[in-house]
Amino acid sequence: MTTTRRQFNTQALLGAALTGTGALSLLPQHLLAASAPARPPMRFIFLHRGNGLFPHVLVPPTFSKELKDKEQQKAAYEVDLEQHELPTWLAPLSAHKENLTLLQGLSGKMCTTGHHSWCSSLGVFKANERVSSIRWATVDFELAKLFPSPLEHIELACFPLDGGNPRGSLNGIAQGFSARGPQQPNYAFGSPKVALQELFKSVSTSADERIRYQLERKVLDFVSRNEESRLGSVNGAEQAKIKRYSEAVDAIQERNRQVDLMTDVLRQHTPQLAEKYLKDEMTTLDRQAGHVEVLLAALISGLTNVVAFTIDELGHHYTGIPGLESEKVNMHDVGHGKTIGGVAAEEIRARCEQYHMTLVDRIVTRLKGVREGNGTMFDNTMILYFPDSGETHHSHGVEFPFVVLTGRNSPLDIARRYIRLPGYGLPGHKTLGNWYTTILNATGNPTPHYGDLDAGLAKFNINQKGPIESFLRS
Amino acid sequence: MRFSWNLFACWLGLLPVIVQAQQPQNIDIPAHVRHAFARYCADCHGKENSEADIDLEKLSTLETNEQLELLNRVQDQLFFKTMPPADTRQLSEADRGPLVNWLRSELRKHKASKLDEKLRYPAYGNYVDHELLFGGSVKAAAFTPARRWLVSPQIFTERVLDVFQLQGRERDNFRLQGFAGVTNPFVLPDQSGVRYYDHGTLDGGTLLVMLGNAQWIADKQLRAARVKHGELAADQFDNVRDRWYPKTTPEALEAIVLKKEPPTVAELTAAIQSQFACVLQRAASDDEVQKYLALTRDAIQLGGNTAGLRQMLVTVLLESEFLYRLEFGAGKPDEHGRVPLAPREASFAIAYALGDRGPDATLLQAASAGRLTTREDYRREIDRLLADQNYFRAPVDPGLNGNHIRSHSVAHPKLVRFFREFFGYTGALKVFKDSPRSGGFYQNADRGHTGTPGWLIQEADELVIWCLDQDQKVFENLLTTDKFFVYHNLDTNAGVDLIAEWREVYEKLRGTPWKTEPERVMADHQPMLVKAKIMDGRTKELWREKRSFLSYMYYFQDTFGRGTTPFTRGPFTHGYSYTHSQSYNLPPLPTRHRYIGVENDNYKEPRDKPIYWDYPVEQPFTIANRKGLLTHPAWLVAHSSNFHTDPIRRGRWIREKLLAGHVPDVPITVDAQVPEDPHKTLRARVAAVTQKAECWKCHQHMNPLGLPFESFDDFGRFRTMESREHADNIIRKGNGKDVADVYETSPIDSSGVLSGTGDSRLDGDVQDAFELIDRLAESARVRQSIIRHVFRFFMGRNEMLSDSHTLIDADRAYVSSGGSFRAVVVSLLTSDSFIYRKPSQDQP
Repeated sequence: MTTTRRQFNTQALLGAALTGTGALSLLPQHLLAASAPARPPMRFIFLHRGNGLFPHVLVPPTFSKELKDKEQQKAAYEVDLEQHELPTWLAPLSAHKENLTLLQGLSGKMCTTGHHSWCSSLGVFKANERVSSIRWATVDFELAKLFPSPLEHIELACFPLDGGNPRGSLNGIAQGFSARGPQQPNYAFGSPKVALQELFKSVSTSADERIRYQLERKVLDFVSRNEESRLGSVNGAEQAKIKRYSEAVDAIQERNRQVDLMTDVLRQHTPQLAEKYLKDEMTTLDRQAGHVEVLLAALISGLTNVVAFTIDELGHHYTGIPGLESEKVNMHDVGHGKTIGGVAAEEIRARCEQYHMTLVDRIVTRLKGVREGNGTMFDNTMILYFPDSGETHHSHGVEFPFVVLTGRNSPLDIARRYIRLPGYGLPGHKTLGNWYTTILNATGNPTPHYGDLDAGLAKFNINQKGPIESFLRS
Repeated sequence: MRFSWNLFACWLGLLPVIVQAQQPQNIDIPAHVRHAFARYCADCHGKENSEADIDLEKLSTLETNEQLELLNRVQDQLFFKTMPPADTRQLSEADRGPLVNWLRSELRKHKASKLDEKLRYPAYGNYVDHELLFGGSVKAAAFTPARRWLVSPQIFTERVLDVFQLQGRERDNFRLQGFAGVTNPFVLPDQSGVRYYDHGTLDGGTLLVMLGNAQWIADKQLRAARVKHGELAADQFDNVRDRWYPKTTPEALEAIVLKKEPPTVAELTAAIQSQFACVLQRAASDDEVQKYLALTRDAIQLGGNTAGLRQMLVTVLLESEFLYRLEFGAGKPDEHGRVPLAPREASFAIAYALGDRGPDATLLQAASAGRLTTREDYRREIDRLLADQNYFRAPVDPGLNGNHIRSHSVAHPKLVRFFREFFGYTGALKVFKDSPRSGGFYQNADRGHTGTPGWLIQEADELVIWCLDQDQKVFENLLTTDKFFVYHNLDTNAGVDLIAEWREVYEKLRGTPWKTEPERVMADHQPMLVKAKIMDGRTKELWREKRSFLSYMYYFQDTFGRGTTPFTRGPFTHGYSYTHSQSYNLPPLPTRHRYIGVENDNYKEPRDKPIYWDYPVEQPFTIANRKGLLTHPAWLVAHSSNFHTDPIRRGRWIREKLLAGHVPDVPITVDAQVPEDPHKTLRARVAAVTQKAECWKCHQHMNPLGLPFESFDDFGRFRTMESREHADNIIRKGNGKDVADVYETSPIDSSGVLSGTGDSRLDGDVQDAFELIDRLAESARVRQSIIRHVFRFFMGRNEMLSDSHTLIDADRAYVSSGGSFRAVVVSLLTSDSFIYRKPSQDQP
């Protein structure tokens, strides 16, 4: 399913209220801070990519034979990363080792795996192209509910154009990989330019954009007055029904007013993107870099606390890969181990992944430079980089490797470590569901378990529910 | 006076409580309430021993909100009869009545009764006393509270189709595939039982989704005019995958887009009326026209004709009326304070009861001509629409469609939908299984297909459709039939013809050298082979057809050649996906692997001669060890867990759906886990954890009804031995794919106990599920329980005691018609409960 730019604009800019949240809770934290000093919200950045991520590439080269044997056996162990050199592609994160976690051993066989997974890896259920397969809100939206913001959540993507999950255009607004709730797909911005226009349109310098913005405000004003005028004519449960709708309109209007109040902040943080990022034609790597600038601006300005970014997907035609600048690389071929332009498939993967890490480094470094409370904005940030379909191109979901970066105020006790959890079917084995439950529990959502269970794990008598206790700070 | 729980339920449903809002003030606890608490509750909930942190002695000292919270908890405990505990002193009737009355009136006075709210929800429908409902003693006049009723997901789809005024094939196509830019904002809950109730409200989520929908729809409405005006090139699209748009823009809208100057008031009014007609299917009132004129003029001044007009279109689409069914009634109230539905409301109510579309032209005409006011008017139109084979015709469930399945198209999908929801067998799609456990035959739903559960649901649907077509003893047949549809890809006549054709081919060619000289045999018999679609008649080179010819011939040899009938589709055909016959304990069919390479000279003919399923062309057909929908694999899978059967859930379903009983919710302190024990069957493990007195209190209502179904495993297969799937019990490991692990087994104990029919002939021990089902099908209470659910489905709410006569009439209609479901539907839709409305402040 795809949609127009305007449609998405409404959904993104008018944000969440999916749970009927009151207007006050929708305000950005820094606007509330004047009346009552509040703890800064946690921010979450989900960076996921297609074609799988090989678990072995996360293993530091300086591991001893003993550790490498454990790695082979998929036995559980933890290592302090400070003592080890990072693999080359992870080297851009060397300066952030104290924040880094390389997390291995999570399985996700309850997800759709293989070529495409739709929103499975964020929702922990078997999703497919049917909207009806979306069973609940993906974990990023659950977190966005815990840390409300004017936009609640934004999603960016380098869309796939072919394969089994294509979108109509690289630059438009189309169905993304997150879900707002059951059967409610989210929409993502395909290009930095469109994202910039829509997210920062309240401070747009374009006359047409400003008129459109004002017209949309007028619609809500009208709907609000119209519904309120009906309240007096009914009683009881029927009155409650109208009131709820009327309140929902009011809540969104209130949020809009708050966005309007943020004009100065938004002007200050509107990214000044170089011309190449604003074109319709650009390399994949530039598109990724442009999206990162938008992502940073949205977080720093307080428009959102949660960003999901599809860095790539299997059906995306990769351009701009170092050494292959003139090639349009078909990632499916890379998945099948094909050498392209004289470069081996694994090396192509490594170059892309290394570039992704330079972007992660850029995010971390920039957020470490933003003062917040007694520290920096990164102190309250968590970044998760992971494959959307598991361990390889034709994955089975046996492993979902994660590169995680957490700030000082993280409620999880995982930083500066290489962590391998027990392998699939071994006692103590953990799943994506356990991992997301851990994050949700640690940040205030007490759900007993997030996500579906793996029917195949039953025979191992493993308790699949609940958080990974050892990750929670006591 | 002896306090009656039944009366309490009645009061909750019937008594008007119109109370002005009051400032919260501390609630005085009267002496009789304090005494009752002291006498019956203080031992556990007093100063000395405040279990669950509840100290009722402190009640008068609490803040008002805390008092109300606590009083709500007390009211719940008393209403659901969970307190005082059975082993302690019970409330005397003299104490109970005044206590319950005071709680109810005090909570209602503060508009804080959570029980009132709860009783509107599906899970609490059965708390209205069954004997009173069907006893005939209730004399209250029936009505439905005046209401806004949120449209269902299906009605929403139809309303969007109406906005674009699509008809015919285009309408059918978009009904199935949906629009690229429209997200359905409504999702019905996943549960067995009626799912579409009238208590839903629009909220922020709906609004957000609708904002996006409205903008997409408005853009499409205007696109043709904008292209005509030159604002857009005909091939200019924001998204190349979203190129559809209506080829014409409504005339009144087009006039404004094409105009250079600002539109006149008359032109604007025509545009507003046009949009009201498309979206709300009515004319705008003068007041509405004035409001919309102001909005549109203002918007046009700001953004120009097209942008301003577009905002008007969006705003009408955001009218809450677009998403609600309005049923307020009109006219002078009768002696009971009721008013009948206004004729226009009645036309929509009837249409939405029988289908998902709004009223057809005849129904609208009847409403506007004053011919939709009497009960007979209703009956005439309902009979007409039930006889209409086309207006509501649609697939039962487009969501089932996939690469291989096309949901059955029927004249009245809504009638089938009742049974789908009631039995809840569609839940099979939500239960994922570990396929290797099944030996590889069970395929979970995945991309592009709904897997084995999709097929099972499709076949259960066909059974329901078959019973509805017969329309005799519908409930009994659905519960007890031993006939089923399996792999029914062709209707009986077409299937018989095809098999005859295939048999003729095989008989004629079996004596020829078809294995060694296939091309010569093909050439000699080409017309016959082409007619049987074994060869493509257009092909000039025979070798290209060799694979098809030989595949069929080997297939015929494996079936006709061994005295059995082949399935009417060869396993080697493109897209073949039939693997689930084992769900019914039917023998397998040949797989595609058997025929791979038949066209090659080095093909080695398999030497084994398995016994394949002798395919019954005429369906439905009898299957051993099955009896009705409760033994259909779709229902059994839907009411199982990912890993094993679920006797508790199956029992609960029977208690609640067939016996109009209720089981309290699981207390939050209970961690409902079945313990692992390699030496015990699931039945024994369930017993170990549920037979403690405090557990058995609830489980006695479920386990004895669900355990007889242990004769079926969690894939829906009949069994006499249970495989104790535990690592300690493994005898032989499978291959993790299509050979299952083999474990030690134990005999199945399928005994159970039927209780709650109110009929001493039927209640008592049962040997197995089949005996249980037979007795259930004989029970009047079961029939009436189903009728209660039919009522909820068509009325969108729980029954109240005042609906007693409606239910009794529906029950009589069923019995006197020999078990016609349509008779029940007509009875309900011509009842006072359907026709009359009463202001909603009278209702909880």
